[in-house]
Amino acid sequence: PGPARLARLPLARVKALVKADPDVSLASQEAVFVLARATELFVETIAKDAYMYAQQGKRKTLQRRDLDNAIEAIDEFAFLE
Amino acid sequence: LPDGVNISKEARSAISRAASVFVLYATSCANNFAMKGKRKTLNAGDVLSAMEEMEFQRFVAPLKESLEVYRREQKGKKEARKDKDKKADSDEQDKSREEENDDDDERMEEEEQNDEEEVDN
Repeated sequence: PGPARLARLPLARVKALVKADPDVSLASQEAVFVLARATELFVETIAKDAYMYAQQGKRKTLQRRDLDNAIEAIDEFAFLE
Repeated sequence: LPDGVNISKEARSAISRAASVFVLYATSCANNFAMKGKRKTLNAGDVLSAMEEMEFQRFVAPLKESLEVYRREQKGKKEARKDKDKKADSDEQDKSREEENDDDDERMEEEEQNDEEEVDN
């Protein structure tokens, strides 16, 4: 296994979210796959960033507030606010 | 995350919701690129463009790699199906299963799992 893993997130769930957008009529299978994979990368990123805050608090358990802190502090996560 | 790290229920649920928002936002962004290209179908390129737009450029390279692996896998599946068809339909032409030109950039694969879905919106 290298960096180019296949998606572990269920594609059906991702597809359901894509279909929820009223402006989207069709999405190729590849698009759904890339979205799923991107979401995995996103989850890795936000978890890692949040974990830094847990470490600061000397905790080994990620808490909700660690995520809140990460979202507030990092520009790319502004869309989550 | 490193070994020994736990995730509280609330944090897990928050991550899950964030992931959903990410998909919705990325979809909307990608769709803008599709519309700009006067296309009705969202393709992989649109999603990659969306990542750049969303300031996740660092995702683009690994995503392209994954896409290549995915394409090779799909091709393998297609070949397997082609062989199955040859054996099964020796007499009839199975026109409903159209085989796309593999050189197309916008490959719309048709598989048993119906993946292009028309959304009646």
